[in-house]
Amino acid sequence: MKKQLGFLVDTEKCIGCFTCAMACKNVYHQQKGIVWRQVHPMGESIYPHRERAWLSLACNHCENPVCLEQCPVKAYTKREDGIVVHDQDACIGCGNCVRSCPYGAPRMNPVEKRAEKCSMCWQRIDAGLDPACVHSCPVGALSIADISTARLDGWVQYPAGYPESRRLNPSTRFKAPRQPREVRRNDA
Amino acid sequence: MNSMELPLVIFTVLSQGAVGLVALTAARQWASDGGSGMAQAPRTAWLTAVALLALGAFAAMFHLGHMGGAVRTLANLESAWLSREGLALGATGALLLAGYLSPGLRARGATTVAAVLGVTAVLVTSMTYAPAGFPALNNALPGVFFLLTAAVLGPALAAPFLPDAHQPAAMRALRAALLVSLVINLVVPCVWLSGGTVMRLTGEAFLTAPLYWLRLALLGASYALARGGRMPAWMLPLLAAQELLGRALFFMLPVHASVNIGNPF
Repeated sequence: MKKQLGFLVDTEKCIGCFTCAMACKNVYHQQKGIVWRQVHPMGESIYPHRERAWLSLACNHCENPVCLEQCPVKAYTKREDGIVVHDQDACIGCGNCVRSCPYGAPRMNPVEKRAEKCSMCWQRIDAGLDPACVHSCPVGALSIADISTARLDGWVQYPAGYPESRRLNPSTRFKAPRQPREVRRNDA
Repeated sequence: MNSMELPLVIFTVLSQGAVGLVALTAARQWASDGGSGMAQAPRTAWLTAVALLALGAFAAMFHLGHMGGAVRTLANLESAWLSREGLALGATGALLLAGYLSPGLRARGATTVAAVLGVTAVLVTSMTYAPAGFPALNNALPGVFFLLTAAVLGPALAAPFLPDAHQPAAMRALRAALLVSLVINLVVPCVWLSGGTVMRLTGEAFLTAPLYWLRLALLGASYALARGGRMPAWMLPLLAAQELLGRALFFMLPVHASVNIGNPF
C-alpha cells in the first residue's frame, strides 16, 4: 500500500465538544449549514449508556475515492500522501460526488454552486503542521497517521454507526468508546 | 427528504420516452409484413425523438451549478458514469438526427441499431443514478425503473406515427408495461423494508408518502383505462404525469447513508 494519510479518531477520549468542527469552520469559513467536519452522537442502540460517545468525522480520504471516480470533470485528485483534494475552480456543481459518497463528505455550496469538502488542511501539512481540527482538539482525540506504515493495534476501520464500504476503503481509523464500569453493591 | 431535482426529472423522463419511442418503432418494423407502411420508420417519429432528447438535455443543464462547464462532462469517460451517459445519449441523438435526415437510416436494421444504442444509453444513465451513497438505489433498480419508463411512454409516443394495423399492438405493449410497472413499484418499497437500516428507512419513506400512493393510483388508473385497439389522445398526458411524479419521488425519498451515521447500519 502506498503512503496514505488518515485521521485517527479516539472515541474513548472524545468528549463531543465540537471544537474540531469549530476549528474547521474558523479556518475555512464555510457557508451557513455547510460543515466539513461533523461530530455525530452515537445512538442509544449502539452506546446505551448515560455517558455519551461521539464519532468526529470529516472526509475519509479513501484509498479508492468514489468522489474522484464519479466526478465527470476530474475536479478531484489524490496526492502522493493519499489526501483527496477537490479543485473548486474545475467543479461545475453537478452534485455527483455529493450523491456518491456514503459518508456525506462532499457538500454543495449553495452560494458558489460548487461542491467542497475537507482537504485535511494539506497546506498546513505541507508546512509541517497538523490539520486545524487535530491541532484544536483539547483532549487529543484526533490525530493523523500514515496508515500504510503506522502500528494500529486496537484501532478499527468500521466501528458501529459508521457505514462500511470495502470498495472505497476509507482511511479513517477509530478506537472504540470505553464501556462504563458497572459498580454494584455487594449484597453479601 | 432530498431535493426534487426537477431538471433531472424532466431530463430522465424525456430521454427515456424518446428511447421508448424508437424501440417500439423498431419492434413494429420487425413485426410488419412489409405491406403495412413500416419499411422505413416515420420521419416525424425520429424528429420527435430528437426533440425529446434535446429538450431533456436542455433541462439537464439547469441541474448544473455552472452550465458553462457542461461540455467538460465528457472529460472522465474512464470512470465517471455521468461522462459515459453524456456520450451514450449524445451518440443516440446524433444517430436519430442522421436518421431524420437520411431515409436509409430509418430502415429496419438501422432503426434497431438506434434502439439498441438508446437502451444502452438508458442503462448507462441508470448507473449515474445508482450512487454508493444511497444503499436502496446502489443496485440494478434504477435501470429497472428507467427501462420501465421507456416501456410505458414508448407506445404512447409512438402510437401517432404507427399505421392503423399496428395500433392494437401498441396498446398491448402499453398494458403489459403498465402492469409490470405497477407490480415493481408496489413490491420494491416492501423489499427495501427487509434490507439494512438505511434501506428500510427508504422503504418507510415511500410507503408513508401520500404522493407515492397517488402515483400508484395514477398507474393503476392508466392500466384500467388502457383498453381498446387505439391509443386515446389523453393517455400520453396521463402517463407522462405519473412518470414525472414517480421520477420526482425517485430523487426525493431515498435516504442517504450519511444521514444514519452514529446509528446501526
